[in-house]
Amino acid sequence: MFLRYKFLIVMRAIWFIAQVSFFGLIVSRLVVFELKGIYFQYYVAGIIIMMLYSVSVFIGYDIFEEAEHGVFEYLLSLPVSRKELVLGRSIGGGIRSFIFVGPLIAIALAIVGVTQIMNLVIALSALFLFAFGASGMSITIAVALKSGDRFDILMGVLNALIIRLSTVMYPQVFIEDASNVYAGIANFNPVTFASDLFRWGVGIEQYLTMTPLLAILGIVAFFFVFTFVGVTVYERRLEGGGWK
Amino acid sequence: MSGDADLVAIIRTVDLTKRFEDVAAVDNLNLSIEDGEIFGLLGPNGAGKTTTVLMLSTVIKPTNGTAFVGDFDVRKNPNDVRKLIGICFQEPKLLWVSTPWDVLNWHAKVCGLATEERKRRVKQVLNDVNMWEARRKSVHGLSGGMRKRVEIAKVLIQRPKIAFVDEPTAQIDVIGKHKIWNMIRQLRDEGSTIILATNELYEADVLSDRVGIMHKGGLLVCDTPRTLKDSIPGGDIVEIHLEKEATDKVLEELKSLKEISDIAEINPKSLRVYLNNVEEVVPQIMKAFLKRNLPILSIKMSEPSLDDVFVHYTGLTIEEAQQKMIKGEADG
Repeated sequence: MFLRYKFLIVMRAIWFIAQVSFFGLIVSRLVVFELKGIYFQYYVAGIIIMMLYSVSVFIGYDIFEEAEHGVFEYLLSLPVSRKELVLGRSIGGGIRSFIFVGPLIAIALAIVGVTQIMNLVIALSALFLFAFGASGMSITIAVALKSGDRFDILMGVLNALIIRLSTVMYPQVFIEDASNVYAGIANFNPVTFASDLFRWGVGIEQYLTMTPLLAILGIVAFFFVFTFVGVTVYERRLEGGGWK
Repeated sequence: MSGDADLVAIIRTVDLTKRFEDVAAVDNLNLSIEDGEIFGLLGPNGAGKTTTVLMLSTVIKPTNGTAFVGDFDVRKNPNDVRKLIGICFQEPKLLWVSTPWDVLNWHAKVCGLATEERKRRVKQVLNDVNMWEARRKSVHGLSGGMRKRVEIAKVLIQRPKIAFVDEPTAQIDVIGKHKIWNMIRQLRDEGSTIILATNELYEADVLSDRVGIMHKGGLLVCDTPRTLKDSIPGGDIVEIHLEKEATDKVLEELKSLKEISDIAEINPKSLRVYLNNVEEVVPQIMKAFLKRNLPILSIKMSEPSLDDVFVHYTGLTIEEAQQKMIKGEADG
């Protein structure tokens, strides 16, 4: 089954290597004094979250393929509740993302190094929930829109916003320096929660936006909101009149 | 089966309606399906059969009215309803990344079958539907008929209390059709109630204990195939070829039988008699001729089909109704 996604995996791996080997290495030489020496590691940790997010939301594209093949009606007729169905899809999407991104996480850990194993285990556990939540969000949007083209465009815009207005590529203090509004949004961005938590997990504790506990709570909230919203959208949008 | 007063309704619809914008796909449907029967839902494409099945299986919600499946309301207890049902969809719904074995094994797992039982049933049913050899092929590489066989296999493995089978033998060859019909009968004999949605008149006739004919989202008529056919006045036709010319007296005697609605003279020695209950009336016809020393050279009987029933109630053949539906859709 996973071989079906080999193109996605290969392309994402190339993208990751290019980001780290070219962009990361070069940009880390441009950064301000305070981040000199750690920005490359900071960036590599962030890029992993970007990867995890983008692979997790890929499940939305699967939804359109499934709709085209009529699999939706079949899934809705199975002896499982809507909650179980959405949860199953989100968790499935999240696990798949982790499997795909797993080797890249290993490379990132080799580059960044790990100081506290326990912190890393906690961070990775929370990142599972983040991946489930991102998959749930993608499913929710796909089902709500019921249009592959609109989904593609929206996800492109959302990707730009959610990544740029987060701490994936730059610390919160610099976002705040640019705009308080940007910083406010970044504070409630699930990608910020995930980036902070992963950096804490690998021992990059400078420039964290919030405590690890707050980041974990944010990720848990993200997961539950999109599971709940997903169930509601599934029921209203699909059961009301099918996919079309 | 319908005559048995002890049978109870396992499915009951109450003013069940589904509208898609201005179009009523199903319009105030009131229907009762008895436990343990094969109920044929017959009608042209677009009559509302599939929409009814989708509402009864909780895949889509009714716009108005409701339905009770088992003891459960499809609106209030959809999770309980889904535990009772299994569907063979009109268009095969295969998990497009998998093989027939994976599709059926996954389906059986979701339906709660234990590992050993699951493997045994999947193997048995794949053999039954002649798909064992092709079990490891990608579903992409399967023909339409093979896909349909995998689709029906899901229900056969699941053995649900209530099975919806929508056009179960579409794209399947004649031998395969008979095999699947036997499997559907077997499923009924093992305790399942079968709702067979079809536009194949012969299939509905040979398989169904009762038939409900749908047209334009509503239920036209519902009864056993035999009763429906007998409901057409003069629906049975008997052609009689005599050695001599028929006399007025014998014709008068025949016309006095209440089951005979009309007699047409093809020629003086050949008659076409329109009647009901052909099996009971033919001996009386023969007796009338022999009594008057009018030997019969040959006798040919034909009974109405469900198509004739459809024509009787709608004024259209099922093909004409289908054409009208397509034209209506094209006209918007």
